Amino acid sequence: MTYEKRVSWQLRLILLPSVLLLFAFVIYPAIYSVYLSLTNEALTGAAALNPRFVGARNYIRLFNDPKFWNSLLVTFLFVIGSAVIGQFVLGLFSAILLRRPLRLKPLFNSMILLPNAVPEVVAGFMWISMLAGGERATLSRIVAFFGVEPTDWLQTFPLTMIIIVNTWRGIATAMILLTAGLSAVSHEVYEAARMDGATPRQIFTRITLPLIAPTILLYMLVSTVSTIAIFGFVYALTRGGPGGATELISIYIYNQSFTAFQLGYGSAVAVVALVFSLAIGVIYVRVLKVEV
Amino acid sequence: MKRALLAGLWAAGLSMAVTAAHAETIRIANHGQAGIDAMKATVADIEKKYGVTVEVVEYPAPDKDYVTKLLTELGAGNGPDIFSVPSASYVADMVAAGYLAPITAELKAWDGYDQLYDVAKQLAVSPDGETYVLPSMLGINQIYFRRDVMDKAGISTEQPKTWVDLIERAKEIKTKTGQYGLLFPAGVAWGGGAFEEGFQHLLVGSKNPQIAAADGKLSLSGEGVKDVFGVYKELIDNDLMPVQPLLGPEPWVIPKYEMFPAGKLVATTCGSWCYIFDWGRESKNPIPNVEKVVGTWTIPGQTSGQYVLAGLAAPWAVNSKAANVELAKKALLEIGSVKTEVSYAALIGNIPARKDAAADPDFQKLAELVPIHAAAENGVYLKQAAGFSAVSEGVARATEALLRKETDAAGAQKILVDYVKEVLGDDAVE
Repeated sequence: MTYEKRVSWQLRLILLPSVLLLFAFVIYPAIYSVYLSLTNEALTGAAALNPRFVGARNYIRLFNDPKFWNSLLVTFLFVIGSAVIGQFVLGLFSAILLRRPLRLKPLFNSMILLPNAVPEVVAGFMWISMLAGGERATLSRIVAFFGVEPTDWLQTFPLTMIIIVNTWRGIATAMILLTAGLSAVSHEVYEAARMDGATPRQIFTRITLPLIAPTILLYMLVSTVSTIAIFGFVYALTRGGPGGATELISIYIYNQSFTAFQLGYGSAVAVVALVFSLAIGVIYVRVLKVEV
Repeated sequence: MKRALLAGLWAAGLSMAVTAAHAETIRIANHGQAGIDAMKATVADIEKKYGVTVEVVEYPAPDKDYVTKLLTELGAGNGPDIFSVPSASYVADMVAAGYLAPITAELKAWDGYDQLYDVAKQLAVSPDGETYVLPSMLGINQIYFRRDVMDKAGISTEQPKTWVDLIERAKEIKTKTGQYGLLFPAGVAWGGGAFEEGFQHLLVGSKNPQIAAADGKLSLSGEGVKDVFGVYKELIDNDLMPVQPLLGPEPWVIPKYEMFPAGKLVATTCGSWCYIFDWGRESKNPIPNVEKVVGTWTIPGQTSGQYVLAGLAAPWAVNSKAANVELAKKALLEIGSVKTEVSYAALIGNIPARKDAAADPDFQKLAELVPIHAAAENGVYLKQAAGFSAVSEGVARATEALLRKETDAAGAQKILVDYVKEVLGDDAVE
């Protein structure tokens, strides 16, 4: 066996555990979900004992289900509001701000990173207490100081609230990625621009943004796909309510599979969500023009 | 030396044999600290009587989360040996799924069987004629009202005779006190409560008092079902029941634990547990002199009649795939002792299904529960059928649409029927 072949086999051997794990915990479950989605498998009732093949019935039902479309719309608004706008804008702002020499820079860094250190369910309950109705809740006390009527924020503005809370939680990730992108931009480019008389606004829009565009797109890809999959945090906050106003696709899948006990139908929704995520991933990759 | 070695080996062997003999473990799933506390003495009794180790596994407390975990484990074949089923509406479907071991013969041979109320025995029988659950406790459901608030406002506390009467009383409460007049649990977040603690109260007194038809189908398309949704519609449209809290993640918390004790909700459906757990001695927000200031009405029928609705309160069952099914069945029957039932009554407020519990000195101390226990004999109930968990979810969805003012009574009925057909197939609905 030649040296190259031996190395090639060694590399395959090293990769084998990862491939096996990936197959066992990602690929096989995904394939099994597709199979389940074509059956009436359930957690209880006769279908749990003897599930049968139902063809595309779950998919036909899904496309006629207004609650499914509602969950897609809610997910779309949630991703746009919290990941694409909220986390990105505030993450970029923080990254730019913290590149400058500041006196309490480590403190600001820690403050931005802190939300990620809190377990999501704990963070969820913390926000519930802050956004609860009644005069003693934190936000109600703050707005009452300005003469605004206290309200139960998670009931009155549920989607807006989960967008704000998820933005709070995700700024750190955005900031870290964008800081890495910003540090790859050479200082000489900025110096040259300044010498040519460019204004700070021109420097930002014509130099900074174009040069960190690949990082931004990479962040968008990671952030969009991970935000579509968010479950625990929002479930702890609202359980998808009130009246489906915060029922993200992930919560809808859970509700169909584990509270209505219809694994077949829940799997059909999961397969459709997977297709959406893959489509978004492919679009981003095409735009990024990277080899995968 | 050799003798000492042999003696040592013999001792070690004996020790292993003894350990093996005592190694049998029964896993019991329980949820909620009150339930675990109520079972403590029973667990010790089972261990002593059968020489086994009982492992009590605490499951998530909210019923919905508990059922999800339980069904997932049962489906995977690694569920606990003995468990309670939070809502009786799940039983028929769990039987259909093959999760429960039949206990008909053991139950009938049990010395406590003759002491069970007939209604408890009937409630425990599944559509196939077998019994799969131990009917140890009953939930006796009625309408609970704030007598003190109504007296102060000069509103009659007489038993309403019909649905119209009941709604008129709720309107009078709203007009004279400005508070919500009547609550029927509703919506998806309340889980099985929308069906068990709300919908079926009215259904038993409607034109369609049963939904389990003789041919095994579900009778959901009748006028009675639509009329029941009509009551919800009227309560919601006239702002007689609080709507916004019911759309939240824990819909029972604000109306039951905050508004009712504060007199901001004046009447609500509830079970006997409300006197103990929700507003009584085990409550975090108790109503002083609860047995005096909170009165009860039976559920009036649509045009006549009065109904005390009885249901099995978290009946216990044996996993059909338990490690030792026969042993688990013996252990199960210990849960039906008077001591355990009274312990549950004291800590949770459910009613013992045994008649002889009435003579127990500890039960007699629960003065607010004694008359309810006596009334259990006259309890009415919905006959169970496979597909009830789908009906329960369908009712939750239909009432949620009413809460959100997206539909009327006929539309709510359509949501229920469509949902059940989607889940169980078109043939399932009559």
